[in-house]
Amino acid sequence: MIIVDNKAVEDVLQMIAPYKKVLVAGCYGCVTVCLAGGEKEVGLLASQIRMARQKEGNPIEVLEQTVERQCDKEYLVKFQDNARDVEAIVSLACGIGIQYLAEVYEPVPVFPGVNTQFLGANRDVGKWEEFCMACGECVLDKTGGICPIARCSKSLLNGPCGGSQFGKCEVSKDIDCAWQLIYDRLKSLGQLDKMAEYIPAKNWHRDKGPRKLVKEELTLERD
Amino acid sequence: MGKNENIRLGIYLCDCEGKLVQSIDLNKIKSAIQSSADFEYIRIADLLCGKMEKEKIAHEIEKYSLNRLLIAGCTDPFIERQFTVLAEENGINRYEVEFVDLIKSGKESTKWAVSIISEVLLQMQERSAIVYEDFNVLPEVLVIGCGKEGAAAALAVSEKQPVTVIDHDSPREGINLLNGKRNITVKTGVKVVGLEGFPGQFLVRFLDNGKHVKQSFGAIIVALEAQAVFDKVKYNGVQLGERVLRLSQFRQSDKDQYAGRKVAFVLGQADQDSLLSYAAALTEAIALREKGAEASILYDDMKVSADQLEQDYERARARGVNFLKYNGELQIVTTDVAATVRYREPFLPQSEPIRLVSDCLVLADDYQSNAATEELAAALEVRTGPGGFFQDDNVHFLPVMSNREGIYFVGGCHGPIHGIELNKEVEAVKAEVGRFASGKVRAPLLQPRVTAEQCAVCLTCYRCCPHHAIEIVHDQSLNNMYHSAAHMNALACRRCGTCAAECPGKAIQLPLFSDQEILQQVSKPPKLVAYACENSGALAAEYARSLDPRLQENLQIVSVPCSGKIDALYLLKALERGADGVLLLVCHKENCKYVWGNERADKRKEQVQRRLEEVGLEGDRVEIVHLAANQGNQFNASVRSMVERINQLGANPGKVIK
Repeated sequence: MIIVDNKAVEDVLQMIAPYKKVLVAGCYGCVTVCLAGGEKEVGLLASQIRMARQKEGNPIEVLEQTVERQCDKEYLVKFQDNARDVEAIVSLACGIGIQYLAEVYEPVPVFPGVNTQFLGANRDVGKWEEFCMACGECVLDKTGGICPIARCSKSLLNGPCGGSQFGKCEVSKDIDCAWQLIYDRLKSLGQLDKMAEYIPAKNWHRDKGPRKLVKEELTLERD
Repeated sequence: MGKNENIRLGIYLCDCEGKLVQSIDLNKIKSAIQSSADFEYIRIADLLCGKMEKEKIAHEIEKYSLNRLLIAGCTDPFIERQFTVLAEENGINRYEVEFVDLIKSGKESTKWAVSIISEVLLQMQERSAIVYEDFNVLPEVLVIGCGKEGAAAALAVSEKQPVTVIDHDSPREGINLLNGKRNITVKTGVKVVGLEGFPGQFLVRFLDNGKHVKQSFGAIIVALEAQAVFDKVKYNGVQLGERVLRLSQFRQSDKDQYAGRKVAFVLGQADQDSLLSYAAALTEAIALREKGAEASILYDDMKVSADQLEQDYERARARGVNFLKYNGELQIVTTDVAATVRYREPFLPQSEPIRLVSDCLVLADDYQSNAATEELAAALEVRTGPGGFFQDDNVHFLPVMSNREGIYFVGGCHGPIHGIELNKEVEAVKAEVGRFASGKVRAPLLQPRVTAEQCAVCLTCYRCCPHHAIEIVHDQSLNNMYHSAAHMNALACRRCGTCAAECPGKAIQLPLFSDQEILQQVSKPPKLVAYACENSGALAAEYARSLDPRLQENLQIVSVPCSGKIDALYLLKALERGADGVLLLVCHKENCKYVWGNERADKRKEQVQRRLEEVGLEGDRVEIVHLAANQGNQFNASVRSMVERINQLGANPGKVIK
């Protein structure tokens, strides 16, 4: 899941300072699940914006709407009535939804209400952890199901480094050393020999530019 | 809206022993209502809270099949509670009972009373009836633990329901009491490793002599006994042996061997709080006297604060047990032939220590939670409390309740002190599981409803539910991309509303307390809004009003079933719509009827304060007060100080007046 965190309201207020009528747009996907961009948060942010602007003596009208997913244009269509009725939109979707919304409703300006953080798991209510960096070449088979790219501070493929002490990372005592976790897991799996296997460096050079995934056998395009 | 055929309304007008006659004519009210409203039954009573009224009302509820009550008279929270309990005992849901206070200073008049009663009647008529459903439940009960406590629970429950008793790695002292008994199956070498489902339909996973098996039960009783442990440090390192025994050891021994000999018991050195040792020492001393032994009990403070203990103490004295009070430390010296205790008599502080020589010295044990507690609590998803025993340290759960419906605690599993109260607990647990005996349970469908379109299946409600009452259900008819939604089990849910307040999609609504119903009450709020838990703040408010009626003129009190229902949005909305301040009135710490609603309220108050400060408003406009139902004075003090605070802060500059 994509994990996002709410932007400081101050920043949002600055973005929408010139406008008198805005839409706060929520998403029922990842951002609802990570408690930052669902209908509830839309209501809370809208209320904050109204009170802030009232206090400044510059009242603003704030509409509220949440759709299934902002990363699919069929759902974005649902915003059309409200989007045409406002001067700007604040999106509480992840960076993907914000961009897609901005594309679909151009020239209505769309602003981010959240900072997209990482791809992660929900440990408990209010606790999330980064698990994946979408590197495109998964090595979890070699590392006991623990990602060294996302969970090692240095993204080392052949760790640990000298900064690993008592199972913790030198960057912070709150960070588990990913390579300690990998070692412990491989040990319990009886696969410690994999520690000795050299994992070659990844080609981080994105010579093909921004990534696209097209599966010809699935597209609706005809030859 | 026309008359709802399902509603059978009973109206009671109380004269409050003639207090109302001066200003209000109840007969006129009666005829006014009779000409305008739909109802089944109306009666004027001299004193509704008087003698025999309870029986009379119960009879009338049955005779006229009443399912809604309106009670008008002099009402206060304690009288109201009396009637809601009476109603529930007679099958009427507490939310179907409304009260009208006819004694409000300066307002009493017949005309006013008719108008206010008519208004409430109209609301009651328009509200759709609470729907009840019969749920199939299994009468089978699982008792975990076959010690004497487990056996006592099993025997009592087996009078009406089939019971399976397992040992779960614990002593089997009660097993002989159970063998061959009707309705009882005993299984040994069996432990619980997991639990699924809900009350009435629990699926329990067992490890049965090494094999994984499953079986379904309607209810579960945990009866793992507390474990007696001996801490020799508390007795200056004394060595146990033939002359020095632990009390728990001594209880197993054959008393005949002590005929004509001297036995001394030492109390007060081990666990100071355990009444078990006091009870055991008294029983053993009396038994020794009957065998012709000499028995002495050395004590610092004789603890008898439980059923029967006082009588046992008197009986022991009458039978000639010596009671010897000591002060401070004891010295124990043992030889092959005798055990000697040297102690100081508190009333002779200057004297030499006194020597008590006996053939056998019996030392009290400490009591610890059963070693299996933590693992079993995790498997059953029930909470533990102080000392690692089962059950929260929370008066609402006494005597036998857990945080989950259908799972109960009996005896030493939830603290050694309870062992003595065992009979009461067994009766209580028998009544609780007895609800399942017929195989059907009728329950109101008042649990929160989920709108699938808004449910992201995020698990927030599932994780926040203190009662494990929520499951994720899958069905093609559920109209979202997952064809799944959270669902609250009617028999497991206690209706606190915490889930609704936590839901990030606003998909969950609690009947009678929906967002709409709550926010309607603050559509045009006065200066101060108080969201009040109906177990504490709302009751305190009623009491407070009788102390200072004028204080509440500029205060809107919004009742919620638990402070866990107070959504952060409610706080912001009250301020946005014009309030200058908002109070949260919640139960004391560790005293939430629903485990942690008040702690959630604490966090939401902090969250909203931050949100206000983020937009340049004063966080101090929101405050939380922990109080009890009887703290009317505390309520008034809190309101006064909040009013003072908002007067100092001035009008809320964020209010959006349309």
